Amino acid sequence: MPLNIDLQQILLHWMNLAILTGGLYLLLYKPVKDFMTKREEHYRQLDEQAAEKLAQAERVQAEYQARLDGADEEIHQARARAQQAIQQSTEDQLAKAREQARQIVAHAQTEAEHSRERVLRESQRELRKLAAQATKKLAFHVDPFDQFLDLAEEGEEYEE
Amino acid sequence: MKQHKKALVLWIGAVLLLLIGALLAGFHGRTESVQQAMRDAVLHDVNQISLLGLKAVNPGLISAFLVTGLILLAAALIRVLVIPRFQYIPGKFQLALEEAVGLFHGMAQNSSPHRYGFVGAYIFAAGAYIFFGTLFELLGLQGITIHGHPVTLPAPLSDVNAAIALGTLSYLVILSGGIAANGAKGVGKTLKEFSLPISMSFRLFGALLSGLLVTELVYYYVNLSFVLPVIVGVMFTLLHALIQTYVLTMLVSMYYGEVSEPSHKAKS
Repeated sequence: MPLNIDLQQILLHWMNLAILTGGLYLLLYKPVKDFMTKREEHYRQLDEQAAEKLAQAERVQAEYQARLDGADEEIHQARARAQQAIQQSTEDQLAKAREQARQIVAHAQTEAEHSRERVLRESQRELRKLAAQATKKLAFHVDPFDQFLDLAEEGEEYEE
Repeated sequence: MKQHKKALVLWIGAVLLLLIGALLAGFHGRTESVQQAMRDAVLHDVNQISLLGLKAVNPGLISAFLVTGLILLAAALIRVLVIPRFQYIPGKFQLALEEAVGLFHGMAQNSSPHRYGFVGAYIFAAGAYIFFGTLFELLGLQGITIHGHPVTLPAPLSDVNAAIALGTLSYLVILSGGIAANGAKGVGKTLKEFSLPISMSFRLFGALLSGLLVTELVYYYVNLSFVLPVIVGVMFTLLHALIQTYVLTMLVSMYYGEVSEPSHKAKS
């Protein structure tokens, strides 16, 4: 044949190429490709795990944020309640103080009234006594001058 | 600094020793003219090698078997010694292996997204064969012809039979993709590209042969055998290895993707 083309040698080359293709596929191509696929799968799993952990962390963060927001509200409410209680207590104390003051004033007024009445009664009694004595003396004709002197003496004693 | 000087002296000593050895070995005359050497590089009809005493074959076939053997041996050693120790964070060698496999796998996946398992494995093997087969000629391994003369084993694909085998096998792989994906319609799609096996075969053959011829020419004359082979080696071997690997694998994956694309029925 032209160019020394030989069908038998071509077939031998085919056989050689078939052996090479099969051998290289089994010895090199497939094992390396399998390893690359395995590594890709490994890193894909790692990526998924990382994404899952990130999502979980975000969920926990959101949960704690919600709790934190709740705590703020709770603190706000507690503060409002405390202020209300203080206000109530102050008002109670004030009312009590006012009541006590009113009672003290009333008591003082009562005491003053009683004192005034007692003094008045004693003055009236003294006046009646004096009037009785004067009447008695007038009735028994006593010298008015002596009587006056006697009364004056008695008055000084009384003042002392 | 002392170590550098020592290494330089050793290197110069080795070069001189080799030069003296070459001169002492003497020149026994040419067994063939440059015309004959170039013709034989193309046709391989004179300097044939016996295949286990069964048949006289082109040196390219012996090279092909050797390349396959070496690649499979290296692959077996890597499979046994390296792959079981693979880490999730790869070292340099592991990274290089993964890059090589990933390159062909990605090429197959991008060019033929509907069906890429088999073509990925095929272009990986074909790529390795072309690349290491082309670099193989740099080793300068010798074979003995049936006439008893030593001959340097060439790159397998500089043999037209090897190039035709790879081109036609690639075409059959593309055809198999068409049949697997679209049945008879896939066969039709593949047969439309009837010139593909010839173009792929002779592109490979032409590219590799041009490198071989230049190398033959350079080595035929002693005067050209200094410094120039380094440039020729890089230009016609390393670059061919890379370019032809890329071209063939890319073509196979593209045509495979084209014929294995599921056909959509026109909506009435």
